[in-house]
Amino acid sequence: MIEVCISQAQAVTGLGPDLESLWQGVLAGRSAIRPLTRFATGRYLSGNASWIEGLEPVGGRSRINPLLAQLAEGFGPLPDGCSLITASTKGSVDAMERLQAGLECDPTEIPIAGLLHRIATRFGIDNPGININAACASSTIAVARGASLIAAGKADAVLVVCLDLVSEFVFSGFSALQALSPGVCRPFDRHRDGLTLGEGAAALLLMSRERAAREGRPELGIVAGWGAANDATHITAPARDACGLIQSVRQALVRAGIEPGQIAAVSAHGTATPYNDQMELTAFRALFGECNLPVHSVKGSIGHTLGAAGGIEIALGLRCLEAGIMPPTVGLQEPEEAGVGLVSASPQPIRGSYLLSTNSGFGGVNAALILRRGAL
Amino acid sequence: MMEAYLSGIGWVTGGGFGWGSQGGDCSFPELPLPALSRKDVFPEPNQRFGRMSDYAKLGLAALAFALRDAGLEGWSVKRSIGVVASTRLGCLATDLEYHRTVQLQGGGLASPNLFAYTLANCFLGDAAIQFGLTGSSVALNETGEDGLGSLRVALEEIALGEAETMLAGVCDLPVPEACAGLVALKPGAAFLVLSQAPLAGCSEYGKVALADGGSVLFNGSPCGDLEGLIKSALAGRRAG
Repeated sequence: MIEVCISQAQAVTGLGPDLESLWQGVLAGRSAIRPLTRFATGRYLSGNASWIEGLEPVGGRSRINPLLAQLAEGFGPLPDGCSLITASTKGSVDAMERLQAGLECDPTEIPIAGLLHRIATRFGIDNPGININAACASSTIAVARGASLIAAGKADAVLVVCLDLVSEFVFSGFSALQALSPGVCRPFDRHRDGLTLGEGAAALLLMSRERAAREGRPELGIVAGWGAANDATHITAPARDACGLIQSVRQALVRAGIEPGQIAAVSAHGTATPYNDQMELTAFRALFGECNLPVHSVKGSIGHTLGAAGGIEIALGLRCLEAGIMPPTVGLQEPEEAGVGLVSASPQPIRGSYLLSTNSGFGGVNAALILRRGAL
Repeated sequence: MMEAYLSGIGWVTGGGFGWGSQGGDCSFPELPLPALSRKDVFPEPNQRFGRMSDYAKLGLAALAFALRDAGLEGWSVKRSIGVVASTRLGCLATDLEYHRTVQLQGGGLASPNLFAYTLANCFLGDAAIQFGLTGSSVALNETGEDGLGSLRVALEEIALGEAETMLAGVCDLPVPEACAGLVALKPGAAFLVLSQAPLAGCSEYGKVALADGGSVLFNGSPCGDLEGLIKSALAGRRAG
């Protein structure tokens, strides 16, 4: 199999317009979660989210456009023949909201196909490719697919672009499901009371190591393994025995050719809902036993960015491996019992070369990706 | 060349619903989709079906029929079967319906049940539960109109060793009136069962292949779209 590296990574989050501001922010324990002014929240469980400055719907157009512009700023140049895979759950959902409200809008922005064309154009890619929608595991699966194509020699450069917005559409839905924290989310905390939404985007350039080296491109990390599986248990709740996540991680370990003991850190989904976090801790204890490796959730810093979550967390994971540090889990005060020794409100050292990144979502979806420290 | 055995076909279109071994043709006429009841799809009571969105019912029914055709509908142990569903508009009709509940009383009446069906992959979760499918399950949005995108991905997944058996197909409701003219699509759903090796106790329709240039072939002949591929497969079985 051909080895796959990530040679460029970018992220736009509530903590700032680039990966460095995200890294510095999470390392310092900052949170971008704050009161929302984008729509009235009086009838919802929460009034908070992690949102990005400057995403105004100019001329009635979707906020996804300025988000995409921020993401693409300074990214590239891309290799010739680069393919595109995107990951978004709701794309330009605000265009649909504006249409329904009778406000100025561009209806052609509503189908995801329109977004695909805009992303391709923005990054200078001829073929608009495909968008993967696998709920909150969308971008992890998108990266896995890109890596799989490169590993098999079907492509040697794939750009993965992940993005989702904070919208009243989604906000109201999680509120109706009683899944929003009234305050600020507290991942893996014994007293966690729900998730906080966020918006963001990530771009990851995957290449064969050989081509990246030939073109003198940096090697931020190696995509060593990946896996995906369905719980087949419940539509909106994870399987309590974590069967799908465990299966996903085992697939990723086999693909990477490593043992569980070689995983040195975990970037968890960590949404701060009672069921998700308990399920993940069940999986990690089943996989790693009593080994207390550092486990981190970024959701307390930038909220749950839905289809973009996995991509942003992979970008952040590359920085963690480079620095040898897992950042503090913001919002965590008193760890859930099974998480004692795993999660921390302080930075933790990474003692090894492999980082596991996991995401799960509605529909029973689970995905896992293993990153290895790159040569830079 | 990547290839897989085609062992099951199921569909719900404006022309009706069915599966390969039942006989009949699969076409996508511009006629209203059938209003599916639980009894049309499942012989046993199914508490969830009646609460599903129309989009989820459509996709789940076509998946059920494809599995039935391949002899895979019944199960006692979960199976590592993956699903890839192409869709142009996904659950847009459900999105619009849900959003109307958000517009009432400042969001205070937003429907949690409808919201659970506002993801394009929602019916894949229902299928996983109903049929014990533990493989990767994703919805794809693409810009092409041939309906073959999911087959290309499934054939690649099988060839790359990511899965041994995959369901692949399309699922789209008619374009909602509020969005008329936004995209050209053939309403309906159709799924195929593809596998790396012949399935035990099941006779295959033939082989589906992905050529290096991206063309999809059925028994060596190029297919212009999914409907054409299904017609060729059904005709071949009748002739055989």
